Amino acid sequence: MARHPIHARRSAAASTSGARETRLTSAQRYRDCPSWRGGAAGLTDQRVSRSILDRALALLDRSSIVWLARRRERRGREHWPLAVLKEGLLFPQHVREGRAQRSLALIAGMSSLLGGAEVAYEHYRGSYGQRIMYTPIALSALACGASLWGARDPSVARTLMPALSGLLIADGVVGFVFHVRGVARKPGGWRIPAVNVTTGPPVFAPLLLGIGGYLGIIAAFMRRADDPGDRSFPRRFRPRWRWSYDVREGQFQKHMAGATSFAALLSGLEALYSHYKNNFRYKAQWTPIVTAPLLAASALWAVKSRRAARTALPATALLAAANGAIGFLYHARGVKRRPGGLGRLGYNILYGPPIFAPLLFSAAGFLGLLASVMRREARA
Amino acid sequence: MSNPERPAADPRELWPVDSEGHPLPPKIQPGYYPGFSTLSQQAFWDEATRREVLRRVESLPHIRFFQGDEVPLLEAASARLLPQDDRAEARRIPIVPWIDERLYEGKGDGFRFEDMPPDGEAYRLGLAGIAAAAQARRGQPFQQLPAADQDDILKQLHHGKAPSEHEAWRRMPAHKFFLLMLHDVCKVYYAHPWAWDEIGFGGPAYPRGYMRLERGQREPWEVDERRYAWAPPPAAGSAETERVAGQDDLYGTSQGGTH
Amino acid sequence: MTKPKSPIGGPFQAPEPGVHRLGPMQVLDAPMRRFSPDDQVDYCVVGVGAAGGVLVQRLSRAGFRVVGLEAGPFWDTERDWVSDEKGSHQLYWTEPRVTGGSHPLSLGENNSGRGVGGGSVHWAAFTPRLHPSDFRTQSQDGVGVDWPIAYDDLKPYYELLEREMPVSGPAYFPWGDPHGYTFGPHPMGGVGDLLIRGCTKLGIRVSIGGPVAILAGSRGNRPHCIYRGFCIQGCKVGAKQSTLISHVPDAIAHGAEVRAHAMASRIEIDAENRVTGVRYVDHQGTERFQRARAVIVSGYAIETPRLLLNSACPAYPSGLANSSGMVGRCLMAQAGNVILGRFSELVRMYKAPPAHCMTEEFYETDPQRDFARGFAIQSVAPLPIAFAKQMIASKGSWGWALRREMMDYNHWGTIAVLGELLPNPDNRVTLADETDHRGIRVAKVTFGLCDNDKKLIAFARKKVEDVMWAAGAEEVVQESRFAHLVGGARMGVDPRTSVTDAFGRTHDVDNLFVCDGSLFPTQGSANPGLTIQSLAARAADYLIDQSAAIFRRGAPRSREKVAIRTDLSPPDTWGPGVPRLGG
Repeated sequence: MARHPIHARRSAAASTSGARETRLTSAQRYRDCPSWRGGAAGLTDQRVSRSILDRALALLDRSSIVWLARRRERRGREHWPLAVLKEGLLFPQHVREGRAQRSLALIAGMSSLLGGAEVAYEHYRGSYGQRIMYTPIALSALACGASLWGARDPSVARTLMPALSGLLIADGVVGFVFHVRGVARKPGGWRIPAVNVTTGPPVFAPLLLGIGGYLGIIAAFMRRADDPGDRSFPRRFRPRWRWSYDVREGQFQKHMAGATSFAALLSGLEALYSHYKNNFRYKAQWTPIVTAPLLAASALWAVKSRRAARTALPATALLAAANGAIGFLYHARGVKRRPGGLGRLGYNILYGPPIFAPLLFSAAGFLGLLASVMRREARA
Repeated sequence: MSNPERPAADPRELWPVDSEGHPLPPKIQPGYYPGFSTLSQQAFWDEATRREVLRRVESLPHIRFFQGDEVPLLEAASARLLPQDDRAEARRIPIVPWIDERLYEGKGDGFRFEDMPPDGEAYRLGLAGIAAAAQARRGQPFQQLPAADQDDILKQLHHGKAPSEHEAWRRMPAHKFFLLMLHDVCKVYYAHPWAWDEIGFGGPAYPRGYMRLERGQREPWEVDERRYAWAPPPAAGSAETERVAGQDDLYGTSQGGTH
Repeated sequence: MTKPKSPIGGPFQAPEPGVHRLGPMQVLDAPMRRFSPDDQVDYCVVGVGAAGGVLVQRLSRAGFRVVGLEAGPFWDTERDWVSDEKGSHQLYWTEPRVTGGSHPLSLGENNSGRGVGGGSVHWAAFTPRLHPSDFRTQSQDGVGVDWPIAYDDLKPYYELLEREMPVSGPAYFPWGDPHGYTFGPHPMGGVGDLLIRGCTKLGIRVSIGGPVAILAGSRGNRPHCIYRGFCIQGCKVGAKQSTLISHVPDAIAHGAEVRAHAMASRIEIDAENRVTGVRYVDHQGTERFQRARAVIVSGYAIETPRLLLNSACPAYPSGLANSSGMVGRCLMAQAGNVILGRFSELVRMYKAPPAHCMTEEFYETDPQRDFARGFAIQSVAPLPIAFAKQMIASKGSWGWALRREMMDYNHWGTIAVLGELLPNPDNRVTLADETDHRGIRVAKVTFGLCDNDKKLIAFARKKVEDVMWAAGAEEVVQESRFAHLVGGARMGVDPRTSVTDAFGRTHDVDNLFVCDGSLFPTQGSANPGLTIQSLAARAADYLIDQSAAIFRRGAPRSREKVAIRTDLSPPDTWGPGVPRLGG
C-alpha cells in the first residue's frame, strides 16, 4: 500500500466542504467509505456463502432501514432513550460498517456495570478484608461512566474511555493474581484445589471483569455512526498496529472470536466450580458446562475459518446468550427459594446463587454474536 | 469380647432386626452410610490430628488402673451400655483400655459433683456394687449373667435405684455413677473413626474444610445416606428407654459442645 | 469428579519444628522478653485468657513492664491442637473442682479454658453486646443490681473490639443499641437454615451470619473460616478470634512476658495494705514469687475468687479484698437449654461453625410474661460425643436406643436458649477442704435456681420448641443445662456489696485489680466474651492513665472516666470495614 487508507480518506473528506453534513443518505455515506465494499443491502463479499445469518441480516437491514429512513426526515434533537433505541436497531449494520463506537461504548458501559455489581457483593462476602478489594468496584463504576459518556462524546470516547477501560483490565489481571494468591493462602493451598478453588476467591472472575474493559478499548478505536466524515480522529492519530487499523475499519472478526473464546472458557470454568459446589443439584446446571466449551471451540474454529464464523459461531453464541439469560432466571428463583426468601433479600443475594454471573456468560455469547456479524481481517 | 464362661445363648437374640423382626447379621460397618470411610481421608488431615486418631485405631493401652475382675465386668457392662453386637467381631471398638488409660492418668473432666467421689474411686465402688448386684441376683459374676439381667441391673442404675445393698450406693447416687460410665463409654466409642463412619460424621477437618454446608449435602468424598429398616433387638432391655421423671437436675452433661 | 486420595504432593506433613506457630500462616517470631526472678514488674496479670490477653497487649504497648502468668501452656496451634473432639480435652480447665447445690453446674469441658488465650480458645465466638437495659436491671425491672457503669461507657470499647477481633455479622443488628458489623455475615449451615425457617414462620426476626468473632474474609495472616465446625475444639485455622492470636503476639512484640505453666497460688500483701506480688508454682513444681507494683487477677469466674480466697491473711481473714464478703458470691450461669429436633431430611450439623445464627427478640423484659428479663435463641451444633451426651440427657437414651439415635445423627438439628438468670448470693464459689496436687485448696461451686429463673427457663424452652416445630421437625426433645459463668467478684459503687469499683479496682486494696468475667453484676442474655474483652480494654485505659497514682502508696483514687485510647490496638486493626447501618 503506497498510502495509508486513512490518509486517503481524510484527504477525500477534506476535499469536500468542511461544513458538517448531517443529512447524507445511507447510500451516500456508504459510498464515501472505501472500506465498505458494497451496498446497503447486506454483504456483497462474494466469497462468503449466503448463510442463514446473511439472510437474517439482510432482512433486518431492510426492515430497520426503512423504518429509520422515515424517522430521519424529522429534524431536531432526539431524546436519549430514542437515540439508544435507534442505535440498538441499527447496531448490526453499524458493526458491519465498522461504525459501532457508540453502541459498543454503551454495551461496554453496561458490561462494566454488571461486572461491578457482581464484584461488589462478592467482595462483600469477603468483607473487603484487603483494602485493594475496593478497586474493582470503583474502577467499574468509573469505566461504566466513561463508556456511557463516550457514547455521547467522541473526544471522551478516544481518551477517557480507553484509559479507564484499560485500567479496569489491568485491575482484573491484578485481581487474578490476588485470587491465585488467595487460594494459596487458604489452609492446604493449591494442594487441595477442588476444595480451595471452589470455596476460595473465584480465580477467573476478575478476568471476566475485563469484558467490559475490553469492549471499551475496542470501541475507542472504532468509528462513529454519527460522524460520517470521520472528523473525530485527530490529525495526528496514526494507527501503529495492524489490529488497531483493523478495529478502525471494523474488520476484526478473528480477533473478536479469539476474545470470545477466552471469555467463554473462563465463564465455563467459573460455572464449573460454582455448580460443583452445589453438587449439580439441578440438571440445568450442566448446561453452561456443556455450552461454554462449544462456544469456545467454535470461536477458535472461527478464527481459522470464515465459514465457521458465519455458521457455527453465531449458533453457539446465541445458545450461550440464551443459556445465560435462562441461568439468570434460575438463579433468581434460587435466591427466592432460600430460607427467608425475599424477606432476607440482601443476605440471600449474598449467599445464594450469584445473581449476575449467568449474565456474564451471556456477555461472552454476545461477543460471539458480535464476532460473527462483523467483517473479517483482510489478508495481507 | 465374648467370655468363654458365659452360658451359651443364641447370639441372634442380641442382633438388631429388620421391619419384619428377622435378625440382621453383624456387619463390617453398621449404619446408613455404606462405603463411607473417614480413615480413607487421613492424608487430608494435619499430622498432629492424624497421629492422635491413628493411635486410637492402631494401638491399645495396657490395663494399669483396673484390677482383677473389674476388667471383664466393665467389658460386659460397656457391651450393654453401648452394644456392638451388630458389628462384626473384628470391627468392634475396644472400650475398656481407653477408660483405663484415662483413669490411670487422672485425666477427665476434673470436677466432681459434691455427692460423688473422684472418678477413680467412683469406679472401684460402683463396679463392686454392680458385682454385688449380680451375685445377689444369680450368684454369678456380672459378666456371666444373661444379657437381659445385665440390662436390668443397668436399668435400675439408670433409674437411680440401688441394685444391691452395697456401700457404693450409700456413697454415691446410682444414677450419677451410671452416667459416669455411660459418658465414658460414649466418649471412647464416638471418638473412633469406625463410629464416625457409622453415623456419617465427617471426621477431622483441617486443613481441608467443608464446601457444602446446607441441606445436608455431602462433600465429594462423603457418602449419601442409604436407609434400611433397622430396629434394636426387641428383647433388649435398652431397646426402649425413657427420661426418668424428676431427674432434670441429675442429667448434668457439661457445657461441652455448645455455646 | 474423581475423588483424590491425597492432596497434591502427598499427605499433609507437620511444619518444620523450631517455629512457634499460631495458625497456618501466623507465626510468633518476636523473641519474648524474660524478666529475671528478682525483677519487679509494673503490672502482673494472673491469667492470660480473654481479658488477660487484652490487658497484656494494651499495657505493654503503653510501655509498661508486664508479666502474664498463665497456668496452662503457650499453645503452638499446629503442633498442640488436634481437629478432634476427644483430643481437645487439654484446652479446658480440668483440674479438680467440686460442684454442688440444688442445680449443680457441670464444669470441665467448654466451661473454663486453660492455656494462653483461655476461654477465648474454645468459645463458640458469639459476640453480641449487652443491651443498655442490662446495665440497670434493678432500676428498670426491679431485679438484680445496677452496674456502676452505663452502656454508653462501654459502647466505644465495644466498637473498638469489634474492629480488633474482628466481628462478622449482619449489616444491621436491630436489638439493644442497633448497629452493624465490621465484617460481612457468614454463610449458613444446616442449623442456621432451620432457625431461619422456624423464625420466619413465626414472624420472629433473626440475625443471620453472626455476630461472631470469626473471619468472613481473610485479614492479615489469618485466613477466612473454612467452615469445619471444630470451633469449640480450638480454631487451627486462626479464623476464630482468640486473644492468643489477636492480642498476645502484639503484647510480646512490645516487651510483655507471658509465662506459661505458672499456676498462681497466692497474692501477697504487705503491712501497708498493698499487694507486693504473686506467688506461683512453675512447671517443675517449684514455688516462685513475682514482684509487681500492681496485680490484676484475670482468672475467670471460678479461679479469680479461688485465688482471692486462698490469699486470705490476717488483714483479710475471709479472703483478700473480701471485706464485703462478696468474693465468690453472686456467681451466675446462663440458662443454656438445648432443644433438639429430628428432621426427615439430612441436616449434617457438624459442618459450619456452631455459632452462626441467633435472635434476641425475647431479650428484654416483657410485662405480659410472668418473669423479669429474657433470653436469646442461638444456633448450636454439637459434634458426635457432645450429641451423644445430649441424647442421654434429653431422651434418657442408653444401650440400643442410644445407638439408634446416634445412627440418625445427621438428621438432628439443635437450637439453644441463652437465658438471663439472676444474681443470687447463695450461688457462690468457696474453698473445698481438699487440695490439688500443688497443695492449693480446690474451688467448690454451689449453684441453684430461683423462681424467676425457673419461669424464664420454662417459657424460653417452650418458645424454642415452637421454633423447632415451625422449622419442620418431626420430633423435638429438650436438654436442661447451663452455659457460661460470670460473677464472683462483682463491680459496684458500694464497697459493702461489691468487690471492685467501676474500673475493676478492688475497694479494699489500691493496687489490686480484677478484670475478667467475674466482674459482672448481672449477665444479660448475651454471650459474655465481647463484654469481657471490652471491659478489659476499658480497664487497661484506666490502668495506663492512672498508673502513677496506682503505683504510689497512699495516692487518692480517681473515679473519673478516662478517655478511650484508640492508638493502642493491635496492628491489623484497620478502617471502617464493610458498609453497614448504625456505625
